[in-house]
Amino acid sequence: MKHLSKVQISKCLIGDATPEETQHAWDCADCRAELTRVESAFSDFRSSAQHWSQRADATDGAIPWNVRIEVATLKGLYGGHETIAGIGSLLIHVAAVGLLLFAGTLPPVQKAMKDFVPLFAPDLKPLQPKPKTEQSKGGGGSPQKTAETKGELPKVAGRSFVPPIRPQDDPKLALNPTIVAPDMPNINAPNYGNPLAGIGIPSAGNGIGTGIGAGKGPGVGPGNGGGFGGAVYKIGGGVSAPVPIYKPEPEYSEEARKAKWQGAVLLAIVVDENGVPQDVKVLRSLGLGLDQKAIEAVQKWRFKPGLKDGKAVPVSANIEVNFRLL
Amino acid sequence: MPESSPVADEPLAGIDDFESIVREHRPRVFRFLLASLRDKESAENLTQDCFVRAFKARDQFRGDSKPGTWLMHIAANLVRDHEANSRLKFWRRKLRSDVDPNDLSDWIPDQQKSPEAIALAREQVEAIWKAASTLSERQRTVFLLRFVEDMDLLEIAAVTGMKEGTVKTHLFRAVQSVRLGLEEGK
Repeated sequence: MKHLSKVQISKCLIGDATPEETQHAWDCADCRAELTRVESAFSDFRSSAQHWSQRADATDGAIPWNVRIEVATLKGLYGGHETIAGIGSLLIHVAAVGLLLFAGTLPPVQKAMKDFVPLFAPDLKPLQPKPKTEQSKGGGGSPQKTAETKGELPKVAGRSFVPPIRPQDDPKLALNPTIVAPDMPNINAPNYGNPLAGIGIPSAGNGIGTGIGAGKGPGVGPGNGGGFGGAVYKIGGGVSAPVPIYKPEPEYSEEARKAKWQGAVLLAIVVDENGVPQDVKVLRSLGLGLDQKAIEAVQKWRFKPGLKDGKAVPVSANIEVNFRLL
Repeated sequence: MPESSPVADEPLAGIDDFESIVREHRPRVFRFLLASLRDKESAENLTQDCFVRAFKARDQFRGDSKPGTWLMHIAANLVRDHEANSRLKFWRRKLRSDVDPNDLSDWIPDQQKSPEAIALAREQVEAIWKAASTLSERQRTVFLLRFVEDMDLLEIAAVTGMKEGTVKTHLFRAVQSVRLGLEEGK
């Protein structure tokens, strides 16, 4: 018979082996050694369990529920003065609470309560930088020596076919002179001019173009293009929004990267009729140098300019520049 | 009570002296519970519970088995209930999933053996404890009854309330697992 398998040895260990297997375990030295080895391990296990239980069993042999425990009565711990002690305790508590309530009615305490210092967020509005008066976008008149003078503003229109000063003599089709400008106060005057300018020799200004003023273009004022000084179109009401066509990503500032700073900077810009951002201002700051990075980035942006009546006009817009760390 | 009917007193014959029974069987019950639960506090509590149950139910003891077997039967039931309860307390089970080596540290197998042999025996015993703690409740109970309490298969069957064949199966599986643990421990 060959050696016992592991299964057979296990059966021998639990006393479930056939007589032949038991016989073999006795006869074969190898199998007996294996059996002895496991049996001795189990025997050690038994003795360790016995040892552990003896050591853990502190009440060795004692019968716990047979031990009578004398419970000392609480009566008499105060030497028979329980009533006095109880009343005394009650009085002390009442006195303590009464003292607190009384202290609250004292004038200094009341005064201190009235003199509390309210904490609120300071109103920083007066300290915030005032927006600069916008640079004019108005167009100047035809080249004349003197600056524009006070006069009636011509009719405002989308395009200027006939300049306000020097109307064409004997036109084939009579047209009222018009300029490109937003709504602005007007006056009644015999000559055309800038209603806000000073009085002088009638002149349409010393600029270039078909408007009024020292600028260039069909508007009013010293600026460039249509409109009036400072008047930038707002999106809506026939003015389309400028669409960014080239928007390089902003860089992260070193400090913000170290601080794992994230968020968005809100910028106000004016997109001029060439699609170039002008006059970039921070509306909502993020700090840690990210504002500067946002401005630098947006200044590199290029837009399809906003359109009014199919014509590119300067449009103010708010831009949110997001800073996200990946 | 000499006047009471002797028939009524008959079932109590085996356990009329409860105190001596406790004294005689307490170490064994405690050892079994300690080995099963590997937690001294729980073992002490359950030992207490075991004798309280036995005391309350001593009228029902019919005397058809030895008091020791009957007590171990109660203890085995308590272990099963305890396992069922503590299954919810999985964190506690995690805590006591292994035997603290300190509990066995001052156990010396045999003074006659060489230090190497002692160290080897210790390692093996720890491996057995570890393997036993991973057994299912039934397998572990059967294993401990057989190899710590040194019961034979019939006694185990009486204690656990299982059939002898079932005991054999559980015992065989337990021994196989523990031997596997021993081989890995080497």
